[in-house]
Amino acid sequence: MKLSTIFALLSSILVLFVILPVFSTFTTQFSDLNGLVQTFQDYDVWRTILFTAYAAFLSTLFAVLFGTPLAYTLARTEFPGKNVVSGVVDLPVIIPHVVAGIALLSVFGSKGMIGSISPVKFVDALPGIVVAMLFVSAPFYINTAREGFQSINPRFEQVARTLGATQFKVFFTVTIPLTWRHIAAGALMSWARAISEFGAIVIIAYYPMVASTLIYDRFLNSGLQASRPISILLILFSLSVFITIRVLLWNGRKNESS
Amino acid sequence: MGDVQTAEKVKLKVLHAGSLTEPMKELEKIFEERNPEVDVQLEAAGSAKTIRKVTELDREADVVASADYSLIPHMMYPKYANWTIRFASNQIVIAYLDDSKYSNEINQDNWYEILRRGDVKFGFSNPNDDPCGYRSQMVIQLAELYYNDSSIYDDLVASNSNLKFVEKDGNYILEMPESENINPNTEKLMIRSMEVELIYGIEEGEIDYYFIYRSVAKQHNHKFVELPDEIDLSNESFSDKYSKIKVILANGKEVSAKPIIYGITIPKNAPNKEYAEKFVKLVVSKEGREVFEKLGQPPVKAFADFPENLPESLKDI
Repeated sequence: MKLSTIFALLSSILVLFVILPVFSTFTTQFSDLNGLVQTFQDYDVWRTILFTAYAAFLSTLFAVLFGTPLAYTLARTEFPGKNVVSGVVDLPVIIPHVVAGIALLSVFGSKGMIGSISPVKFVDALPGIVVAMLFVSAPFYINTAREGFQSINPRFEQVARTLGATQFKVFFTVTIPLTWRHIAAGALMSWARAISEFGAIVIIAYYPMVASTLIYDRFLNSGLQASRPISILLILFSLSVFITIRVLLWNGRKNESS
Repeated sequence: MGDVQTAEKVKLKVLHAGSLTEPMKELEKIFEERNPEVDVQLEAAGSAKTIRKVTELDREADVVASADYSLIPHMMYPKYANWTIRFASNQIVIAYLDDSKYSNEINQDNWYEILRRGDVKFGFSNPNDDPCGYRSQMVIQLAELYYNDSSIYDDLVASNSNLKFVEKDGNYILEMPESENINPNTEKLMIRSMEVELIYGIEEGEIDYYFIYRSVAKQHNHKFVELPDEIDLSNESFSDKYSKIKVILANGKEVSAKPIIYGITIPKNAPNKEYAEKFVKLVVSKEGREVFEKLGQPPVKAFADFPENLPESLKDI
């Protein structure tokens, strides 16, 4: 057997493994189309999903604002303790999200280091949801953006510098345009990860309710049948945003190369 | 050597309601000391789930203890059991810490005035998810009748959320919205899915007071205001008063307020009946009662619904 055949076989197992549960969620729903239609028409469910998308959007904004300089620094400069910083960036991926929620609460809670002096309230409020989302999703942005910065040759920047451009000008007119696709892809991943967060959010803010909390709550008190249509709605919504942006990015690339 | 002994031990399976975890642990210790040949295996879950393990999942259990005694006859008779002993009670209290606002003022007569104050925050669990949550609503509504102040529920809950009792022929009914629609004013109210999740709320200083089972407050060393028997769901002689209050959960299930009384039984298919009887005997003994008292679940006089069905060794309770 050829290596490529073996690889194709093994790959398809993993792809199937991911697709099957999602597929079965959809097919099981076919026996209850009524429930699906009802959920599609449920204003409160939509409100919750859009609110979640909005909170995830804010979280992504912060990730881009603070994560881009960090990603660039990690990609371009050597400094003592760089490995430690890299490790810190990955930390949220490693720790259980419930633990993250508790840790965040101890900082952003009313008696926490930041929560006690902040005029903004975090517990059971939008800012709390945003910090929980940011905590778990920031690594997805930073690591993707870092890869982007690493993939461009520093010589482009050096050339621009020797032509007299300031560091700022080089960053915004040379570096960013060359990496914007990585930045967009990272932001998208980070947004999607934020939307799907549950464990950390539910600790710091059960209300206002985000989509994943709603789905779990419905599962808890009304069972699978009641929570499934909301899950489907959320999947379809996230997927359509995801695909739309991906297609825009992909088309952009095609136009550039032609 | 020790391992060999463990392997040969009789395994006594005790399935019990989550809120009985602490007293059951103590009873396990006492029982194993006295019966070294037995290994008591405790398994905690919600009461209904605990019973379903026997009735639907066909699990073999030696003892079943439920936080709502009525679930045993309702779900297990006649196929899986035919008697229930009521042995302990619980009650809803308002728990707090020393640094809760006005903690030096609050008492049985003024708690609702304190909770009304603008700078006081309090919490309860989601009535859709958790019996402690709907019981808290029942208590606050009962308070309106007891203190003769028809705006207690409105001021504390209705004006801070979408929860509202409606009077109908002398009964009070709360029709729960879906959870995403409760819309609590989070400046005043903290809601969490389960009652134990409120513990960090109070310990982290997010809230000043929360509605909780007396046993949970006691086991966490929280201070608490004990409410009058007429409203705190502890006393069977007020069953009629309680039953005027009803909550319809978002999933359609209807629950009427009733006293929180624990029940215990030995399923018909218990593999170790003899030890199971000994265990139940310990639960209702003076020693057992002391354990429940100490952990905040006041024992009630052991009472069997069908004494004629009790095993011989338990007939004298």
